[in-house]
Amino acid sequence: MKNKIKIHRAIKNITQEELAKEINVSRQTINAMEANKYVPSTVLALKIANCFNTKVEDIFELDEND
Amino acid sequence: MYSNLLISSKYKKIGWMLLLPSTVLAIISIFSNKEITWLDAKVFSIFPEFSLGRERKYFQIIEANLTNTIIRVFFIIGALLVSFSKEENEDEYIAQLRLKSLMWAVLINYLFLILAFLFIFNITFISVMLYNMFTVLIIFILKFHISLYKSSKFLNSEK
Repeated sequence: MKNKIKIHRAIKNITQEELAKEINVSRQTINAMEANKYVPSTVLALKIANCFNTKVEDIFELDEND
Repeated sequence: MYSNLLISSKYKKIGWMLLLPSTVLAIISIFSNKEITWLDAKVFSIFPEFSLGRERKYFQIIEANLTNTIIRVFFIIGALLVSFSKEENEDEYIAQLRLKSLMWAVLINYLFLILAFLFIFNITFISVMLYNMFTVLIIFILKFHISLYKSSKFLNSEK
């Protein structure tokens, strides 16, 4: 699964740390997601979308391996 | 795995305080092969030592030295506390690292045990069994902390 967390983070101009605090996860988690090393749970995906005031589909999309 | 079996992160320190000294003592006792004499005691045993030609008895009070008993109990309690207490920032990603490390530890442990079955025989095998009682926890703790360290190290280089 691909994601645009890094892009949305840049638009909102917040650091990994600030995003992590806002959605109540560790910085490692944000980092692992941005590096495509970790696929978040539905709950976490919804929280991220909420934080960026957008829909989950705008941030996450399937890639050819899924 | 996620949070339900885990205890508060403050127990982790207590875990290390039990685990580290008992590891040192265990290593000393392996190499010196000595027991602390004032730890001789009369203890209750469910299944006392069985010696040939004697009648087998259960639930006896016997004489035993408690050095290894104490080291092993402290070691296991310490290792369990370290393994089963939350990280301060425990979340779903760390829970996944935890689960992966645990599966990895079980796998490696049993691969080593297969090797031991194949290449170690007779009375020597008893010492393998003794180590094997502790290795799942040891390998898990090592692997999990290496994974955590790697993920935070990668993070610092990302800044």
